[in-house]
Amino acid sequence: MDNNRYKIRGNRLLNISKNAAARIKKYDVDEFEIFTASSVENELGIFKQKVETLTFSDSIGIGIRVFRDKSIGYAYTTVLEDDSIEECIRRAVSNSKVTGRQKYNYLPVEEEFNIKKKLISDELLFSENLVDYSMEDKVALTQELESLTRSKDKRITDIENVIYEDSIYEMAILNSAGFCDKYRTTSCMVYINAISKEGKDTSTGDFFGCGRSPSDININEVAERAAERSVAILGGKKIKSNIVDILMDPAVSAQFLGVVADSVKADSVQKKKSVFEGKIREKIFSIDLNIFDDGTLPDGLSSMPFDGEGVMKGRTGVFEKGYLKTYLYNTFTARKDKTLSTGNAARASYRSTPEVGISNFYMEPSSISFDKLLKHMGNGFYVIDIIGLHSGVNPVSGQISVGAKGLWIENGRPAYPVKEVTIATDILNFCKSIKEIGSDIRFIPGGGYVGCPSLLVSSVAISGK
Amino acid sequence: MIDEKTARKVLNILLKNGADFSEIFIQKRAVNNLRLEDSKIENSTSGYELGCGLRLWAGESTFYAYVDSIKNDKLVNAAKVLSSVVNGSSSIKVLDLTGTSSSYDIKIKKLPSQINTGGKKNILKLVDRSSRDFNSAVIQVTSLLSDLEEEIFIANSYGAFSYEKVVKTFLAVNVVARRGNNARTGYKSLARTKGYEVFEEKDPVNLAEEASKIAVTMLDAVSAPTGELPLVIGPAFGGVIFHEACGHGLEADAILKDASVFKGKIGKKIASKLVTAVDDSTIKYRWGSYKFDGEGFPSHKTVLIKEGILQNYICDLKTSKKMGVEQTGNGRRQSFRNIPIPRMTNTYIDNGNEKPESILRSVSKGIYAKEFAGGQVDPATGDFVFGISEGYLIENGKISFPIKDAILIGNGPDILNKIEAVGNNLDYAPGFCGKNGQTVSNEVGQPTIKVSKITVGGTKSGNG
Repeated sequence: MDNNRYKIRGNRLLNISKNAAARIKKYDVDEFEIFTASSVENELGIFKQKVETLTFSDSIGIGIRVFRDKSIGYAYTTVLEDDSIEECIRRAVSNSKVTGRQKYNYLPVEEEFNIKKKLISDELLFSENLVDYSMEDKVALTQELESLTRSKDKRITDIENVIYEDSIYEMAILNSAGFCDKYRTTSCMVYINAISKEGKDTSTGDFFGCGRSPSDININEVAERAAERSVAILGGKKIKSNIVDILMDPAVSAQFLGVVADSVKADSVQKKKSVFEGKIREKIFSIDLNIFDDGTLPDGLSSMPFDGEGVMKGRTGVFEKGYLKTYLYNTFTARKDKTLSTGNAARASYRSTPEVGISNFYMEPSSISFDKLLKHMGNGFYVIDIIGLHSGVNPVSGQISVGAKGLWIENGRPAYPVKEVTIATDILNFCKSIKEIGSDIRFIPGGGYVGCPSLLVSSVAISGK
Repeated sequence: MIDEKTARKVLNILLKNGADFSEIFIQKRAVNNLRLEDSKIENSTSGYELGCGLRLWAGESTFYAYVDSIKNDKLVNAAKVLSSVVNGSSSIKVLDLTGTSSSYDIKIKKLPSQINTGGKKNILKLVDRSSRDFNSAVIQVTSLLSDLEEEIFIANSYGAFSYEKVVKTFLAVNVVARRGNNARTGYKSLARTKGYEVFEEKDPVNLAEEASKIAVTMLDAVSAPTGELPLVIGPAFGGVIFHEACGHGLEADAILKDASVFKGKIGKKIASKLVTAVDDSTIKYRWGSYKFDGEGFPSHKTVLIKEGILQNYICDLKTSKKMGVEQTGNGRRQSFRNIPIPRMTNTYIDNGNEKPESILRSVSKGIYAKEFAGGQVDPATGDFVFGISEGYLIENGKISFPIKDAILIGNGPDILNKIEAVGNNLDYAPGFCGKNGQTVSNEVGQPTIKVSKITVGGTKSGNG
């Protein structure tokens, strides 16, 4: 496929949108918005140095949102011929006849843009290097990750999964309020899950690396971490139920921060599914930490010039010095709270309407090293990995309970591995109990791009034996 | 959807650089989603997708490409590009295509496309009203009604083709009940591979009331005890633990990658002799049932464990060939955008002899878990975590208080050996299962079962 170099499609997307717009005008609607998106992706899996699977995908689709009498209807199609687009419009219009009327259902107008100019150009988000990276090089990179990981420790017996995936994504929005723009991004990721064995015990450990192009990824570091995380817990045992201090690895703390992120989305708050409801200007954290949602970080994989409704992206201070400053808004939820959108209308794909979503959401790191945090904890549980977070959170009550594994620490040093225990807290208590933050911020992708350093958290309930 | 001549042509182009196998998968899908919240229809979305996935094998490698089109020239071009990555030595050619037969035969009475959107809206309105009328503590109802109509055509270089029309209807309700500062949720869903006649068999009002009942009951929940305790798992959705913590380890791709504790265990005892477990895609109208799997192989009933002895793995075409075993009709895919992989369908622990009441009576202090909030499993080790969304304390053989925020942590293979009793009240529950980024529809099932002990993690701090 290398001889077929990718051709930029932005103008094609705009033309499809303009064609659809011309057709909508025949229908009895007040406003409309056309979202088109295309993605070209490669996915590669290696098993024992051989290509196990290699997937090429090329998809394009259009989503049409119509506003009629303050009701919204939505429809999408992947078939872009005239009659299919016509049918798509017809269905969107028909859907608008059953949805509830809400007075805030209308397109964003320019006065509602907090930020008037683009703060990040899509040139920074798009890597020609990825477009030119050959399939052979992608295969070689993934093979190297597999063999490097195996070589890191003798106890690593198998690699459950090693994958490489990349994407060239382009999108355009055209609406009847006059917005018409497009952007493009590239991204790629490697992921490995290493199985290790010692005696009768089996353990797994995973790690990943991502960037705009393969050259952004440090393969050796990914291998090192996956191996380390796999063997660290070999021979792990349950510990007695107790209340202990814990030190969260960034892979764990970032997942907890993701729960906080979900709870500051304005739709969660307005639908009474957030413990932060009514807590603006309250001190949520005991220490003076800062948390931002920033859609303009050059290295942030969730950066983009404008959001899913065409509102410009900026940086929002969500928590400053431990105080809750604002929720994250799209246009609809902002109007409900009589404020401006923070540019957080997110679209998973052309299959769905813009919801509230985070961009690059992160806790500002300190200058305290991980080793110092270990020493400061003295005795406690260093949590390397958790499972079950998605089902273990009750956003309404804020309760969190997850399975955890890691190392028991005595006098600042690892004593023995621990597994099959649970940790339980709730969102507000977790925020209050953070004693110190590390310097080692790491971002994880998934529903946005969440970054967090290691966190020292006091007095958490653990269940084991 | 495409004619036989075009299918053969594309299959032959895919083979032309020496591939060992080629396949064409065509899918046309129309979906409708209606969502209610705050007593209003908040979202109404319709979607239409048409596309084709092309697959070939060369040696150990699988190559795959898809296009959002089924036009002749697009298919031919995609096939040429995909076959160009192959440098193989096979010289097979596709001869005539023969239709595969399947004994799975169902009739659909009310196609989603024949129901107008207003009628669908009324179902959600009814759910909303019934949930709220059930108890004044109910403060929020979210409900989702989804339907799907699709056509799937599959042909491969072995000369087999299949065609199937699929209809699916799904209704889910999520209720929030509040008393003071205490808020609890209840969830129920109804899902069948049939049309809107499903609502003649099961009244949406009952579904709504069941969800409300869970939320309201859980308002009285006390903190869960912690530590190791005996566990009774209720029928139907309780089967999700077997699905997650054992079923995934029986999927043949995990076995071949040495990423399963069940490797090399066929014919060996892996569970208590009370346990017989089955995967069956032939149960009519069930959420995980079909005429053909995602590779055009007919649906099939596979006994996984018989009286504690491991019988079979869950296979797709590729893994069955590699292992030299019979195909089990479990090659499934989310859509034409995905490679088929071994997946469960309707997977359940079969009936035993005990009455559910006598199982409860045998526990002096323990937990009764009825509904779960999902969970997570490490398939390589079988370690799992599950949140209990509806659970109770068992005291002196009787269900006493509801418990809140309890989670179970354990190891699948370990639990299989700790099953001390299996009831006679097998029932099923629908759900969605994710694996390798692909979501497919499944049912889980089981009768009431008892596990001798498991670690329970709750929010009640201190020693358990």
